[in-house]
Amino acid sequence: MKKYLVLAAAAVMVAALALVGCSSGGSASSASASGDASASASSEASASASSEASASAAAGDMTLVTEGKLTIATSPDYPPFENLENGEYVGLDIEIAKAVAAELGLEPEFKTLQFDAIIPAIAAGGQADMGISGFSVDPERAKEIDFSSSYYIDDQAIAVMKGGEITADNADEALNAEGVKIAVQSGTTGEAYVQENFPNATAQPYGNSTDAFAAMQSGQAVAVCTNKAVVDKMLADAYQDAEVVKSIATGEEYAIVVSKDNPALTEAINAALAKLQGDGTIDQLIGQFM
Amino acid sequence: MNFAQSRTLRAIDLFLTALLIVMVAASSFSQAAYALDTVKCTARPNGDTGSEVLGGVETRITWEGQADPEESIKGITIVMPESTEYEVDDARLTILSGDDLMTRENPECEFKAEGQAVVCRFAEPAKPGGYFRIEVYGVEFPVAGGDMRLSGTYELADGSSRSLDDIPAISVTVTSPTQQLAKYLEEQPWVQAWNSNKFLRLFFNPPILVSSLPVVLHGFFMAIAIVLIAFPLAIPIGLMFSFMRMSKIRILRGIGSLYVNVVRGTPVFLQIYIAFFGLPLAGIQIPPFILGIIVLALNSSAYQCEIFRAGIQSISKGQFEAARSLGMTGSQTMAFVIIPQTVRRVLPTMTSEFILLYKDTSLLAAVGVMEIVMYAKTIVASTGSITPYIVAAIFYLVLTIPLANLVGRLEERLAGNGNAQIKKEKKKAVKEAKRALNPGVVEEKLEEAPSAADADNSAVSPEKLSSM
Repeated sequence: MKKYLVLAAAAVMVAALALVGCSSGGSASSASASGDASASASSEASASASSEASASAAAGDMTLVTEGKLTIATSPDYPPFENLENGEYVGLDIEIAKAVAAELGLEPEFKTLQFDAIIPAIAAGGQADMGISGFSVDPERAKEIDFSSSYYIDDQAIAVMKGGEITADNADEALNAEGVKIAVQSGTTGEAYVQENFPNATAQPYGNSTDAFAAMQSGQAVAVCTNKAVVDKMLADAYQDAEVVKSIATGEEYAIVVSKDNPALTEAINAALAKLQGDGTIDQLIGQFM
Repeated sequence: MNFAQSRTLRAIDLFLTALLIVMVAASSFSQAAYALDTVKCTARPNGDTGSEVLGGVETRITWEGQADPEESIKGITIVMPESTEYEVDDARLTILSGDDLMTRENPECEFKAEGQAVVCRFAEPAKPGGYFRIEVYGVEFPVAGGDMRLSGTYELADGSSRSLDDIPAISVTVTSPTQQLAKYLEEQPWVQAWNSNKFLRLFFNPPILVSSLPVVLHGFFMAIAIVLIAFPLAIPIGLMFSFMRMSKIRILRGIGSLYVNVVRGTPVFLQIYIAFFGLPLAGIQIPPFILGIIVLALNSSAYQCEIFRAGIQSISKGQFEAARSLGMTGSQTMAFVIIPQTVRRVLPTMTSEFILLYKDTSLLAAVGVMEIVMYAKTIVASTGSITPYIVAAIFYLVLTIPLANLVGRLEERLAGNGNAQIKKEKKKAVKEAKRALNPGVVEEKLEEAPSAADADNSAVSPEKLSSM
């Protein structure tokens, strides 16, 4: 009995591997192809995936999770880039994604994922075609996925609660002190900025920017360091008792992330972004949200 | 005449002194006028945690400098320390301006690598008095670490070249053996072949697996510390609530039930959020580590309360009556007769509860407690690989599998207690009989039977056993 179970488990594992291998292709045809030949699945699947990728690159058409739809992964906790209002996705990233989808002649479909799950999901394939969630272009991330051309350039800002010991005049020294906790969003450029420039302070990571601000308000951290547009938005809406003590023009380029197996989609997105940049749509959207 | 002569001499003297002073002042002034002052020079931390810059691992150098108002610069060269590798493909020049240096400009320029020197030539001379930033990616300091001294020169519009002084040293930490191993692995052909499969690369990327192990290990210790303090702390609280729930006094019973039902009826995740963001607003400031322990202990106490209650109530009424008839008081009966028997009965369920609590420490990641998942999450977010989560899973399994094994054994022993002798003999007989008929199947079934046992039904009746 036990032996059969082991065998069955092994079979399931092999099948799973084959499916994962296939999902790089992403289209329905490759998935069904793997179903009938599970024995030589992994080798066949990778072969079919690579041939499909080269074929699609040559033909100039992209693979999509769902035909006719552009599935977009986003983490809607990052206003003014993306958040949920009455259950609707809103924000600059959302509007840009919609505009890109319209340029590609596809119907946009949004999918909520945790920020740190988006790049792995795009790299693994099968869940979404592209990710847009305030991703800064970063060579480390570029090892896993492809970045489109950038659509927005952002800076960093550090906010504290008003009336504290840290002010704009002493921010550089006061923040870089032993025991100072600065709330950041885990895995973001803001976290890296704090670690690089305030080595004596502790970067306290939270899952999203809303939590980082809540932590500052409740006194778990003295300051928040994140992207400037987010800080500005948070201060304007929910945290009027906080103030910006330091802004840093880091000039981070925001871009859309696409799977490395889907270069045709990256190209198409770049073309769409170039067109939207050219006709002023992007500037107009930035003016609307920032 | 003589007098007049000496006067003119003194005047010349004075004049010369004055001239000298002016010249010295002017020369020092002009020195200041031709200085591109380094404002900062840092490297991005690359050690997965904290502010450490490791040797042998890629980082990014950011140099910033302020030019004098009269200085028009057309090129900057930054010389990397010996045996430091770097790339110029992604290098970037930014000129910042405005009161708070918030206006960015990326002028056209050309980056070239000349030996250890990163040469940046501007397409046209910059406006005088700019604030410059140069970012160089793919920098790899020597593995040995130490204070890395960068030097540099800059070129003015008139073609003259000056040196960049006072670049602060970057302190580089010796690369840890695991980081070195990760780097070694990255270059191995078999690893590259392995990583060419997307599934293997995402989930079992060898270099990331190796480099995240020591980082996630920190979180492992944190999680163990939390659970080792929270769990014992929950025992007296749980016991107290279980007595309350069994109390004859109605109010105590009500409070006990309310507590248990509210705590068990809401997700731990919400309880953590409310405690972490709510309590400080109410003016109660507790460090995250301690607050995490308190929340988990309170949560676990509600579950333990039910375990104890079930355990105590599973002891037959006859035991109470016998003890009381021997002249024991109510509390004596509890302390010397009931509780000792209960302990044995609840041990397996308590161990399961310990496992659950240990896994629940992962939820503290959401509020910035640096435990296993938090460390893994941080690496996942910056690398985009799932591998650190696999490492995290390993760290949970390291503890949960042996414990689950222990639960199994405890339950087996427990099943052998109570009507100990009879049951053992029955079991043995059944085992032998079944083995004779159908080898291999018996052990499984016998193992399954007690594992389903809760505190309440842990006493498996002999009839039940033999009926299998």
